[in-house]
Amino acid sequence: MSTPDVAQRSVRSSAASRARSFNIARGVAAAAAAFVILVGTASIDRLLAVFWLFGLAFGFVLQRSRFCFASAFRDLFLLGDTRVMKGIIAGLAVATAGFAVLMARLLPEVGFGSLPPGATVLPLGIHTLVGGVLFGIGMVLAGGCTSGSLYRVGEGYVGSMVALLGIMLGLEISSHTWNWWWESHISHAPRIWFPEQLGYLGGTLLTFGALLLCFLAVSWWEFRTSIMLPPKRDEVHAASSLGEHLRALGHTVFVKGWPVVVGGVALATLNVYLYTYRHPWGVVAGLGIWADKFASAFNLGAGELLGRSSLAGCAFEPDTASALGHMPLLNLGVIAGAFIAASLASEFKLRVPKQPLRYVQSIGGGVLMGYSAGLALGCTVGAFFSAIPSLALNGWVFAGALAVGAYIGVKVLNRIP
Amino acid sequence: MKLDVRGEICPYPQVKTVAALKKLAPSDQLEVLTDHPPALETVPAQAARLGYVAEIAEVGTAEWCIVLRKG
Repeated sequence: MSTPDVAQRSVRSSAASRARSFNIARGVAAAAAAFVILVGTASIDRLLAVFWLFGLAFGFVLQRSRFCFASAFRDLFLLGDTRVMKGIIAGLAVATAGFAVLMARLLPEVGFGSLPPGATVLPLGIHTLVGGVLFGIGMVLAGGCTSGSLYRVGEGYVGSMVALLGIMLGLEISSHTWNWWWESHISHAPRIWFPEQLGYLGGTLLTFGALLLCFLAVSWWEFRTSIMLPPKRDEVHAASSLGEHLRALGHTVFVKGWPVVVGGVALATLNVYLYTYRHPWGVVAGLGIWADKFASAFNLGAGELLGRSSLAGCAFEPDTASALGHMPLLNLGVIAGAFIAASLASEFKLRVPKQPLRYVQSIGGGVLMGYSAGLALGCTVGAFFSAIPSLALNGWVFAGALAVGAYIGVKVLNRIP
Repeated sequence: MKLDVRGEICPYPQVKTVAALKKLAPSDQLEVLTDHPPALETVPAQAARLGYVAEIAEVGTAEWCIVLRKG
């Protein structure tokens, strides 16, 4: 090896370690700022602080585990890959157990037509199906769902920033057609909550059974479309000192990507814990408030939305909701948490798509997602990840529709270079 | 063969890599330059299904080179 070659290598590696130090410093600074905001919001309103903190946690976990609902559904059809879907199923199982216990405490007596406060039990009808299919198409085209887009904004993806704008635009358009949907379908759509007929144990067992069936179906699908690979085992090294062991641990948590099952279980656990404060995780409520405030500033607001006050889940909060209320703050927390995680891992980078077509996909997919989430009263988080654990049938119907939409989306994607 | 998919939105890094692998001559190797973390999880598995072994090296902040060779 010639001397200039070695010299060049060491210049590159010292530049790399300088870059890494800068990234870590930025991550630590951002974490400190987040803590200051936490203390600040706590002095105003405890609920704000809670939702900011959970947002940070969700964002951190999403970035570390590269967790995306869009990829879970899409990769089934695009690549015959079930890895992310299995992570979701694991998460759903954990959240179901937790939500069931929580709901049983909130509403011990079932069978009288009441619902536990905060549970994402939504009117179920055509709007759920249409919403799910359109959302599935949109998330595939935009390269990410709602939570996926939020965390990727924190990572520096310009495409996701565009998608987020599209989502808010779609939500606002949805508000303008809401009254028609309410009167034709949503107002007389039933809410089907398993414990009403089956009790909590019955509802929970039914949900676990269905999740097991999904796991088996997804495994069969992978087997059918490609060779099944055994899970990769990382090599195990014996650390020679406590310092080395801790360094390796730090690397695993803050630098290396997390297995998606770990991500799913962590998100589910956070969701259960969040629900104990007010209601489970949702993304669209916060985005809808921003969209509404923006539109209203130009006198383009949708006006009175019939029936919204009677709905749970990701329905609009009343008009008095602040643009920095607990749901918007949750979303901001996700972006911030993802930014912190990405910085610490040296994974933050402003990623700018080169093809103009990608911007069209991101905006178009975003608008589809926003519109359909308005219809379905939630997205892959509120109407799926929080709805299935709420032991609600609408979660399953929406999931089925998402799969159909993702399938169609893949067909469309295959035609786009 | 070299493939630069930096800046691409999901799922194009993965999709373009798989398409390139399918067109690759058996003796050739594919070097993919990407800035998309999910690709680091998905590409090795997809490549393994086509009989390729993946080696990932960090080449910059949030930039990786995935080298795929017939295994």
